[in-house]
Amino acid sequence: MRIVVGMGSCGIAAGAKDVYQAICAIKKTDDDFTVGVTGCIGMCFLEPIVDIYDDKKNLLHRMGNVRVKDVALIVQALRENNPDRLAPLCITPENADFLKKQTRIALQHCGVIDPTDINDYLASDGYQALQKVLKSMMPEEVIEEIKISGLAGRGGAGFPTWFKWDAARKAPSNTKYMICNADEGDPGAYMDRAVIEGDPHSLIEGMLIAAYAIGAQDAMVYVRAEYPLAIIVLEDAIKQALDKGFLGQNILGSGFSCNIRIKAGAGAFVCGEETAMLESLEGKRGMPRLKPPFPAEYGYNGKPSNINNVETFANIAWIINNGGKKFAALGTEGSKGTKVFALTGKIKRGGLVEVPMGMTLREIIFDIGGGIRKDKEFKAVQIGGPSGGCLPASLLDTTIDYKALNATGAIMGSGGMVVMDSSTCMVNMAKFFLDFTAKESCGKCTHCRLGTKRMLEILSRITEGKGKEGDIELLEELSYAIKDGSLCGLGQSAPNPVLTTLNYFRDEYEAHIVDKECPAKECTELLVYAILADKCTGCTLCARKCPTGAIHGEAKKLHTIDQDACIKCGQCVDLCRFAAISIEGGSRHADN
Amino acid sequence: MQTINLTIDGKSVTAQSGQTILQIATDNGIAIPNLCYDPRLKSYGACGLCTVEVEGSSKLLRSCATLATDGMVIHTDSPRNRQSRKVALELLMSDHEGDCLGPCTLNCPAGTDCQGYLKQIALGNDYQAVKIIKDKLPLPASIGRICPHPCETACRRKLVEEPISIAHLKYFAADRVLASDNPYKPEVMPASGKKVAIVGGGPGGLTAAYFLGSKGHAVTIYDAMPRMGGMLRYGIPEYRLPKKILDAEITEIADLGVVMHNNVNVGKDISFMELKAENDAVLVAIGAWKSSKIGCPGEELQGVMGGIDFLREVALGERPTIGDNVAVVGGGNTAMDACRTAVRLGAKRVYIIYRRTQAESPADDIEIEEAKEEGVIFRFLTNPAEIIGENGKVKEINLQIMQLGEPDASGRRSPIPVEGKFETLPMDTVIAAIGQKINIDGFEDLQQNRWGNICADEKTFRTSLDSVFAVGDATNNGADIAITAIGEAHKAAGVIDTYLHGIEIPYKKPYVSEKEVTPEMFVDRQKQTRIKMPTRPAEERNKDFNEVNCGLIEEQARKEAARCLECGCHDYADCKLIDYANCYDLDVARLKGEKHPSFIEDSLVSIERDQGKCILCNLCVRVCDEVAEKSILGLVDKGFDTVIKAEFNNPATITYCKDCQKCAEACPTGALKVVSPKTLLRS
Repeated sequence: MRIVVGMGSCGIAAGAKDVYQAICAIKKTDDDFTVGVTGCIGMCFLEPIVDIYDDKKNLLHRMGNVRVKDVALIVQALRENNPDRLAPLCITPENADFLKKQTRIALQHCGVIDPTDINDYLASDGYQALQKVLKSMMPEEVIEEIKISGLAGRGGAGFPTWFKWDAARKAPSNTKYMICNADEGDPGAYMDRAVIEGDPHSLIEGMLIAAYAIGAQDAMVYVRAEYPLAIIVLEDAIKQALDKGFLGQNILGSGFSCNIRIKAGAGAFVCGEETAMLESLEGKRGMPRLKPPFPAEYGYNGKPSNINNVETFANIAWIINNGGKKFAALGTEGSKGTKVFALTGKIKRGGLVEVPMGMTLREIIFDIGGGIRKDKEFKAVQIGGPSGGCLPASLLDTTIDYKALNATGAIMGSGGMVVMDSSTCMVNMAKFFLDFTAKESCGKCTHCRLGTKRMLEILSRITEGKGKEGDIELLEELSYAIKDGSLCGLGQSAPNPVLTTLNYFRDEYEAHIVDKECPAKECTELLVYAILADKCTGCTLCARKCPTGAIHGEAKKLHTIDQDACIKCGQCVDLCRFAAISIEGGSRHADN
Repeated sequence: MQTINLTIDGKSVTAQSGQTILQIATDNGIAIPNLCYDPRLKSYGACGLCTVEVEGSSKLLRSCATLATDGMVIHTDSPRNRQSRKVALELLMSDHEGDCLGPCTLNCPAGTDCQGYLKQIALGNDYQAVKIIKDKLPLPASIGRICPHPCETACRRKLVEEPISIAHLKYFAADRVLASDNPYKPEVMPASGKKVAIVGGGPGGLTAAYFLGSKGHAVTIYDAMPRMGGMLRYGIPEYRLPKKILDAEITEIADLGVVMHNNVNVGKDISFMELKAENDAVLVAIGAWKSSKIGCPGEELQGVMGGIDFLREVALGERPTIGDNVAVVGGGNTAMDACRTAVRLGAKRVYIIYRRTQAESPADDIEIEEAKEEGVIFRFLTNPAEIIGENGKVKEINLQIMQLGEPDASGRRSPIPVEGKFETLPMDTVIAAIGQKINIDGFEDLQQNRWGNICADEKTFRTSLDSVFAVGDATNNGADIAITAIGEAHKAAGVIDTYLHGIEIPYKKPYVSEKEVTPEMFVDRQKQTRIKMPTRPAEERNKDFNEVNCGLIEEQARKEAARCLECGCHDYADCKLIDYANCYDLDVARLKGEKHPSFIEDSLVSIERDQGKCILCNLCVRVCDEVAEKSILGLVDKGFDTVIKAEFNNPATITYCKDCQKCAEACPTGALKVVSPKTLLRS
C-alpha cells in the first residue's frame, strides 16, 4: 500500500507538510507501505488530503482535513492492514461527488502522480505523445491534429491554438521561440499553478510538441515569482527530462533539439499580456507593444514566437494520444474540450474543477461546488477575473462557451470563478477589481492609466456615501472610453466588472447614490448601528467595551449610540448577548 | 513598395504601402491630433489621441501605428473619435497641475501678457515689452497710470511679500518707447475695403479702432466731445494722467489711418441709422456719462453737481465756483478724483461722505492715502440725509450717521442708519460721485436692458440691430474700469473682423490649466521689497494739476520687473496639449481627483522637469533612448503612480547626460524647460 499526501501549495498551506513529516517520522523501515506526495487534486476545501492506494494503484481511501493527530491512526491502520479503521477520516460520498461530474484532461494527472518523479509520469503514458510526434508526424500534421481538436487558447481570449502555431510556423526565420505564459495573475485563479506543481511534465511535453510544430529550438516558461513551489517543481522536472533525453539536443534521436528555461516574473499583472511579457522576457519594462506585428511574426527578440497558456499546453499530449476528434467530441459547437476553473468565494466546496465545455454555471456552482455556504442565497458569480464580468442568478443557466459568456458581458477568461452571496456588495466588488486593474495598469495608455484611476475614485466615493447624481453615467462613459482607447487587453477589459454590475445590479448603485444605503450592508461608511429598545437590557457591556465611547446609557436602561462617534467596528454586535444591536445598510432606516 | 489608394475623411488619396495612416493623413494635409508621436521614433501609441475609425474594423485604431492598406476607408474626426479624444484630454487635464497663464493675465479684463512684458522690461527690452502689451492694449502709457490693476491684486508675488508693481512698469516702458526715436507701430494689413464706424472715442472706441485699423479696415471714430479720449480725458484729472501722454497715444492710433471726428453728436448731427447704412459695421462705445442722483432732499439746489460733470468741466478748462466747503459723496475712484480736484481748485475743507468704512471703499488704497495727504477729510459711515439751502444755494449738509450691519449677498457689510444720530456741516458745494448712467439719446433703436444699458451679446458683442456691435460702459452691466472696456473692444474687434470677412467667429474664452498654490510653496523665496512710486510732496502737488507721480528710475524698474515669479508656462504658445484641449469642449471638473503635484526636478544638466505637467507621452525617454542614444530616462512604478525618472530610478545614470536638450525639444507640454542663464535672472 501507499500513503500519498497532497502537497500542492493549497495542501501545504492547510498543513500537509506537517502531516507528511509526521508520517515519515513514525514510519519504520520494515513497514509494509510506502509514502509519497502528489499535487492538488482540486478539492482544496478538504486539504490536507491523504490518499491510500493499493499496490495496483487503486485508490482505497481518501481522507480530508487530516491533522497531525490523525497520523498515528492512519499508520496504525495500515500496519494492521485494516484500512476500514480509517472510515471516520474518509471524505463523505457527497464530497467525493466533487470529482464525478468533472472530465479531467488538463488535470488528468494532478493529485494522482508524484510530480517530483518523472517515472510516475512515464508510467502514466507520459512522453508517449512526444515520441509519436517525433517519430511519425510532420509539424504540419501536428498542427492539423490540433486544428481538428478545436483547442482554443485557455489564457482568456480563446484564440484558436492551431492558427497561432501555423502563423509562427510559416513566419520566415531560422530562429523561433516557444513561450509558456504562466504569469497567472487574476485574483482567485490558480489553475496554472496547480498544473505546474502537480503535473509539470505535461507542460514540458506540450511545449516540446508545440516547439516541434512551429520549428522552435528554444522555449521559455514565464512564471510569476509568487509561485516559488511551481518554479522549484518545474526546474526539477526540466532537469529530469533532460537526463532522460526528452529535452536538449537531438531529442530521442529525432534530430529535433529544444531547451526550456524558466523566467520568473517580477510581479506585474500586465506581464500576463503576451506582448508585455515579451518585453519583460527581453529585460525591459513590461509594457504592451502595438499589434500588429503579432508575436508570430515579431516576438521575442524580434523573432517569430508563439505564446500559449499553461492549461493549453497541458491539453496537447492528450490530444496527440487520443486524437483531435475525441477532444472535439467534448463541448459545444464553438467551444471544444474542457475548461479548468478555480471555484472560490462563498462556495461550499471550493477548489479546482475541470468540466466539459457546455456545462452550465448552475451545474458547476451547485452540483460540483455544492452551492452557497451556510445555504445563503446565491447572488452573483464573477467569471474571468478583473477582466471578466459579474453575472446574476438569472444567468446561472449560461453555458461554459466562449460565445455564450461573451454575450453576457463577462468572458471565459483564464478560469477564475468567484461566487458571491447576499452579503457581497456589488459596488464594492466592482471597486475591488478596479482597484486591482488601476494599480496594475502599466501606465502607458492615457485612458487606462487615468481612466481607471478616476473610475476608482468615483466608485470609492459611491461606497462612502458621497456618490453624486450622474456618477453612474460618468462611469459608463469612462468605461466605454477606456475600452476604446486602451492598447491591450488589460485596459480594454478593465471596465467589465463595472459595466456588468451596472447592467445587472444597477439598483445597488442607485441605493448607494440616492438613498446612501448599502443593501448588502458591506460598505462601512454607510452602515448605521442602532440599539433595539425591546431587546436592550441595559447591561452596559457594549458601552464599556466601545473603543470610541460612542455608546451611552445607565445600567438597566436603554442604551443609545452616538452616530457621530461610532466608527462602525461592529464590536458591540459581537458582544451583545441579547441581539439588541441592529445594523442597517443606510441612514434611511435609522430615521424610521 | 506598392502604390495604394485609400479614402481619408471622404478624400481619395494615394500612398505607398508601409506607410502609417498618420503619415499619409499628414502628407495630405489632414491633421490627426497626437501627443506621443514623433516621426523619428518607433510608434508608441500611448496618448490615445490619434485613433481613427477604419470601416470594417470594430475597434478604434491608432493611426500612428496602423499601416494603411489598399482600399481602406478612414474617418479621422467621427463622433466616436471625438468622444474618445475628449475623454483622453479631460483625463490628461484632470492630472495636469500647472499654470498655462499667470494669475495676472487671467485676472486682467484685457488678458494682457503681464509676465511676458515684465520679462522684457527686466531684460531691458522696452520696445519688445510695448509690442507685447499692444497686442491687447493700445494705450499702455495712459492705462498704466490710471488702472486699478486687477493684475496686481492677483499677483502671486504677494504670497512672498508684495505684488509686482505691474501697472507702473507698464507705463515706465510705454513712456520710454513713446519718447524714443523708434516708437512701436503695429503692422497694418492691406486695405480690406470695409468701412467701420465707431461711436465714442474713449478707451473702448480707441482700442477697437486700433485693432480694426491694423486689420486694414477703414475706421472712423465719431465723438461728441471736442477731443478724443472719452473718460480718460474728461473723467481722469490731469494730475493722474497728463493729457499730453494721452494725446501721444491717440496720435499713434490716428497714424494707422483711423479718421477721427470730434464734436459730432450722433443722433443730432448725424443719425444713427444713417451711420449704420453707410458702414459695413458700427461699434457703439458711447460710455456712461450721466451722474447718478444721491436721492435726498435738496439735490436740486445750486451748488449740487455730479462727479463726472464736475471733472469734465475742469478738464474742459473751466474753473467752477465751489466755495470753501466741498462735500464729495461716494467712495470710489471718481470720488477721489473729485475731492482731490476740489482741493486743487482751492477749497479749504473737502470732505468725503461715504456710508461705509475705508475697508469697503472701492477706491484704490493709494488714492485714499494720497487724498488724505492732500488734506481731504474722510467722513466714513455718514450718508447725506438732506442738503439744506438758502436762497436756492447749498448752505449745509445734514448727515445721517451709519453703522455696519450684517454682510449682504456680495459679502460686504451693509450700512444701516444709527437711529436719531445726525450731524450737520456747513457746505458750499456737494458733488455726487456715486455712479454713472448711460445717456441713450440717439441710440433708442438699440435694445436696452432693465438698467437702461445697451444689450450686447457677451460672445459676439452684437446688439439687437444687424451689423451693430457695442462695448464698454454703455452695455450690459454698465460702468466699469477702463481696462474692461478695452478688453471688450479688443475681443469685439476680433469678432467684427471675422464678421467683415463673412464668417463671424464669436469670442471664446480659452480653456487654461490653473495650479492650486499655497503660501507654503513660496517660503524658500528670497524676499524683495516692492518698489514704491516716488511722488511729489503733498503740500506741493495739491496746489497744481501737474502729475503726482515722478516715474520710476530705470535701474529700480528693471529690478522690480525681475521680481516676477513667472507663474505662467514657458511653453503656453507651443503647447500641443492646451491647443487640443481648446478644440474639444472639455469638462474637466467632472473628473476632478488626485493629481500629481507640481514638483520641479533639476537634476538634468540644463533642464528643469515639472512632474505636474508631465503627460507620460514618454517622448523624452524615447528621444533620449532612440535619438540621443543615452537611455538616461525611464519609467518607474505602475498605474497612476507611473512617473518618469532616471532609468531604473538610479540617479547615477543622470551623469551620462550630455545636455543635448533633445528631450526638452520633444516635450509636447511645458514639463521640460531649458534653463538658460537668462531665466536665472529670476530669484
